[in-house]
Amino acid sequence: MNSRSLPTFIKVGAAAIALIAPVFLPDFLLFEVCIALSYSIAVLGLNLLMGFAGQICLAQGALFGFGAYVTAYLNAEFGLSPYWTLPAAAVLTAAAGLAVGLPALRLQGLQLAIITFGIAAAFPQALLKFDWLTGGVSGLPIDSLETPAPFAGRPELWLYLVTVACAGVAVLLVSLVLFGDTGRTLRAQRDNAQIAEALGVNLTKVRLWAFGISSALAGLGGGVFAILNGFISPQSFLAAVSINIVIASIVGGTTTITGAFIGGLFIVFVPTWTSDINLALGNVIYGLALIGVMMISGNGVVGLVKKLVCGMLQTTSGNVPSLKSIQGRKQWIALRK
Amino acid sequence: MTLLDVRGLSASYGKVQALFDCSFSVGDGEFVALLGANGAGKTTMLRALSGIARSSGTISFDGQRLDARPPEERLRLGIAHVPQGRGTFAEFTVDENLSLGAITLSDAAQVRRDKERWYQTFPRLRERRNRLAGNLSGGEQQMLAVARALMSRPKLLMCDEPSLGLAPAITAEIFEIFKDLHKRHRMTLLVVEQNADLTLQFADTAFVIETGHIVATSPAHEMLHNQDIQKSYLGV
Repeated sequence: MNSRSLPTFIKVGAAAIALIAPVFLPDFLLFEVCIALSYSIAVLGLNLLMGFAGQICLAQGALFGFGAYVTAYLNAEFGLSPYWTLPAAAVLTAAAGLAVGLPALRLQGLQLAIITFGIAAAFPQALLKFDWLTGGVSGLPIDSLETPAPFAGRPELWLYLVTVACAGVAVLLVSLVLFGDTGRTLRAQRDNAQIAEALGVNLTKVRLWAFGISSALAGLGGGVFAILNGFISPQSFLAAVSINIVIASIVGGTTTITGAFIGGLFIVFVPTWTSDINLALGNVIYGLALIGVMMISGNGVVGLVKKLVCGMLQTTSGNVPSLKSIQGRKQWIALRK
Repeated sequence: MTLLDVRGLSASYGKVQALFDCSFSVGDGEFVALLGANGAGKTTMLRALSGIARSSGTISFDGQRLDARPPEERLRLGIAHVPQGRGTFAEFTVDENLSLGAITLSDAAQVRRDKERWYQTFPRLRERRNRLAGNLSGGEQQMLAVARALMSRPKLLMCDEPSLGLAPAITAEIFEIFKDLHKRHRMTLLVVEQNADLTLQFADTAFVIETGHIVATSPAHEMLHNQDIQKSYLGV
């Protein structure tokens, strides 16, 4: 087993488990996994924006909520099939994200973080204020998906497949963006904006694109979330959701694609587990878990796995990762950190 | 023929003015040295020309007005800027750094040919093409920064203090490469330097800049022997 095949092996294994496991999972657990995946789609967007483009955005939860409301509104008001509301949610949320990003991107770093957090904090209030549009406190219902005949006995399984398909589209989109020149340009302007500008990178354009795609994924994730729940209200999109998405991004590993899914599962399941351990101390244990993950691995869970895999390879065969392969280089970088 | 013509260029950082009404021109195929002490405004001049620093006055390049254009367009028109301190991307390989230099170009086949061409000029980079730029020596990083700038197919290559932090032997090697670019590839060069003696041996023309004013202009070989200028401005 060489240094290149192991991560692929892990990925293929994970994909196989993702496809087979739901058949055996109880309905409620499967539903929780779907919710985690819907968050993961938004986390994936944030990884692109925060990890690769270097822009801190604390409004991802609000954009997630925006997508959910677009889905619900189009369905409740115009009777549009929930399937068709998903692309609409992605596109309209991208537009909303750009409207936020255009003025906000003049600022960088912590200032951008605070401005976007302001949006996240104001969002649930705005939902209540515009109750003629959003249904206010009582929220909006969404029709359940028409389930094809083979899945009639177990609609949860069909919901799961739809969710996985949306996640797949998100992964494909992010991979395409990160591949080749675009990905290099993103990382270059993150590592050194001035030099990138001297090389002809239009900083505003690149950052806006990243913001737009990240928002589109937030919207898609939100749309999926709305369909899964069948009902949404402002309560689901408090400012804490934005923070949770940032936590998911960092815990999984901001510069990874796999990490978005680990992060999504983390923010859905770990708080439940910790409060199972002790109801009163749930948040304390959750907090300690977060601190623990960050202390063990600065680059998230995926970074940690890479580090371990790398260490294993070196001790068992003395095989130093090759700098000629992209994978090998990633391992070197992970090792240095 | 004049390639670059600058008239009344001023630039400031907030309230601090760094360049005052500078005028000069650079001929096509000329090797120009921009000399001066620390804080004289040399770097600001290059930044104003490439559009990274704001400036007023007129800049004409290859028959076109540049002053209102963003850096990206200036690069497309043919001004490449190798910033001070090299600025190679440490976590990118040598090859990827070169690709970044060509992001304004769309013809992939041409980019590949250009890479091969510059690998011929910089054989050390070819040997290290798959290494991370952060693991290169200072001299190799400087070569990489120059090669990366060349990838945009510039007409004018501006280089900010290529000798910074390099051993004299490596600096000389870099200047030999400039000479080669100048003579063989007919590249127009504008090099900012503190090492006046070395630069004047290679350049055609030299400008001396002091506290934001251009205070002397002459053929490089004359300046090399002009004790007054050397004493007053270059601190030799």
